[in-house]
Amino acid sequence: MHTTINGRISWKTLIKSLYVLGLLLLIVLIFTLVSRKFLGIPNIVNILRQAVPAIMIGGPFTLLMISGNIDLSVGGVVGLTSVIYALLVKAGISFLGAGLLTLLLGLLIGYLNGFLVMKLRIVPVIATLATMNLCIGFGKLLSPKGIGLIRNLPEGVEKFARASFILRLPAAFYLSVLLIIILVLVQRKTILGKYTAAIGGNRVAAELSGVNSIKTVWTLYVIVGFCSALAGVARASYLSLGDPETGMGMELNAIIAVLLGGTNFFGGEGSVSRTVVGVLILTCLSAGMQVIGMPPYWQSLVKGVVLIIALVIDILVKEKIID
Amino acid sequence: MECPENRDLNLKPAVTVSGRISNLTFINLSMLAVLLVVFAAASLLVPRFFNINNISNLIAQQAELIIIGIGVTFLLVSGYIDMSVGGIISMAAVLSAYFCQSASAASFSLGSGLGMSYPLAISLTLLCCMAIGAINAFFVVRMRIASVIVTLGSMAISRGIAMILAKGAQRNTGMPTEFRFLGQFTLIGTINLTVLLMLVLVIAALIVEKKTVFGRRTYLIGANPVAAKLSGIRVERQVSSLYILSALLAGITGVLMASKFNSGNCSLGTGNEFDALVITVLGGTSVVGGFGSVSGTVVGAFILGILSTSVNMLGFPPALQMLVRGSVTIIAILAQRLALDKRNV
Repeated sequence: MHTTINGRISWKTLIKSLYVLGLLLLIVLIFTLVSRKFLGIPNIVNILRQAVPAIMIGGPFTLLMISGNIDLSVGGVVGLTSVIYALLVKAGISFLGAGLLTLLLGLLIGYLNGFLVMKLRIVPVIATLATMNLCIGFGKLLSPKGIGLIRNLPEGVEKFARASFILRLPAAFYLSVLLIIILVLVQRKTILGKYTAAIGGNRVAAELSGVNSIKTVWTLYVIVGFCSALAGVARASYLSLGDPETGMGMELNAIIAVLLGGTNFFGGEGSVSRTVVGVLILTCLSAGMQVIGMPPYWQSLVKGVVLIIALVIDILVKEKIID
Repeated sequence: MECPENRDLNLKPAVTVSGRISNLTFINLSMLAVLLVVFAAASLLVPRFFNINNISNLIAQQAELIIIGIGVTFLLVSGYIDMSVGGIISMAAVLSAYFCQSASAASFSLGSGLGMSYPLAISLTLLCCMAIGAINAFFVVRMRIASVIVTLGSMAISRGIAMILAKGAQRNTGMPTEFRFLGQFTLIGTINLTVLLMLVLVIAALIVEKKTVFGRRTYLIGANPVAAKLSGIRVERQVSSLYILSALLAGITGVLMASKFNSGNCSLGTGNEFDALVITVLGGTSVVGGFGSVSGTVVGAFILGILSTSVNMLGFPPALQMLVRGSVTIIAILAQRLALDKRNV
């Protein structure tokens, strides 16, 4: 949080960092008023479990967007890695071994994205759209024809992201919290975080002052790939399925969550922790819609409208309150 | 970053004083050569490919993609991306059915609509599509928000509207008989209204991009937005009209598709935004703006079409199509850049 010269936190920046929490509370309040079930323990557990993949992706995605780049392949990576993980555990490899191999694949895809964008200088949108298609395509090729899902995974696959670990929440949830804590520290305390903000603020100036922007952004792409693979493993475990299309739309969710968190997508500033609140807003919305019985085909419009609302709030907060 | 000379050369005439053809003509001719090679290879290697029915099918299939490709190309040339075209297609398809379905007094169901006459239904549908284009323009141009983000959002909104009105399925009963006329009218073989419209629009687009002030401004904006603004071009107005145009073209495509299938299906147009980008990039349009041509997009559409048809006819699984699209995009960008770099040493 920024502080003013005399060390006090200015209340304008306070509003800026807290309005997203207010939005979350508002949504929770509305759904609770409509249905008492919304604040019940089973529903809260459910929401937190469902939010795990989006939290895992949202954290590193924020850093990437702070650097002024974007990765549209995250949903594709989640799909492909869920398929790979499912195939590996079905082939008899231990859950841990299969997970580690899948994470390695995530690292490689992230490395490829970074290579395309930073070394070959292909615009991020196009490069990552291409890798998204490659990932979903490979995922579909590896899945059985017909239903296109890998089912009948061995017993115990659901332990990671579905079964209770502590306080009814699964291990994957605590892992995602740990991941966010690490990323917040990376953003605030490490040179990678400083360089990320510098590149997003002004890439040329950052390079002139000695920041290796290629290496920095490349690293961010690798981190995003790794975390997407982690999300893929969590997704496969949660569903007990390998599904090449399970990640479809996750890129848009990540973008919306990052925007809700007030990250400036021209780069330079933003916050990983506020993105998590953004993720929770989205998950509460879709869970709440289920609780009050809205049919699933409303999801797309709601998502789009939330994105527009996030943009408008962002503009209002930045232009009207801060200036 | 892209080297500036590449973009500037595009503003010069097709044949420069030294007698060399321009970079744009060079890339267009190269991609045409690639198309011929791909065509020859497919004819030789794929059984039953070289066959008049198959080829006229191919043209009809790609016509829809080319129509939306025109708008996407103009936007990409001016440095912006439009990811909403696929969503707009589905919205137009469902709306055009919903508006003209008979307004029976029965409870709200997929069979009853607003009971307008078909021409009115089409006009209203296209207006709604242009409204989505205007939303894109407002946030991209006025609020200066990255075009990918805005248009991904409007994609969700327009597909969302289609999904709600079609309840996640389709509206295919209770439309007037003329609903199917536009899409099912054919001239010879599969040469239908969509193909004719595609031809007219491509010719119009080529004239606009080469001969009109509007077209040349588009290139200048993409090549150097600051210089364009300083030289008195109203960049905001220009880009706004391009977004509305792109949405209109997607709307027309959606109306024609709904008419062809005699159904307003909310899953129409899925993935078309990426296909439109792929053919545009295959045609040599630069992804950073300022360079490209609709003629290239047409060539790109047929390269992609031949590759997809061949993958199908050789009996490969359809998932391979996605791999083809993904890899072809990256290869095309790199090959074209390499060719231009070599040429401009």
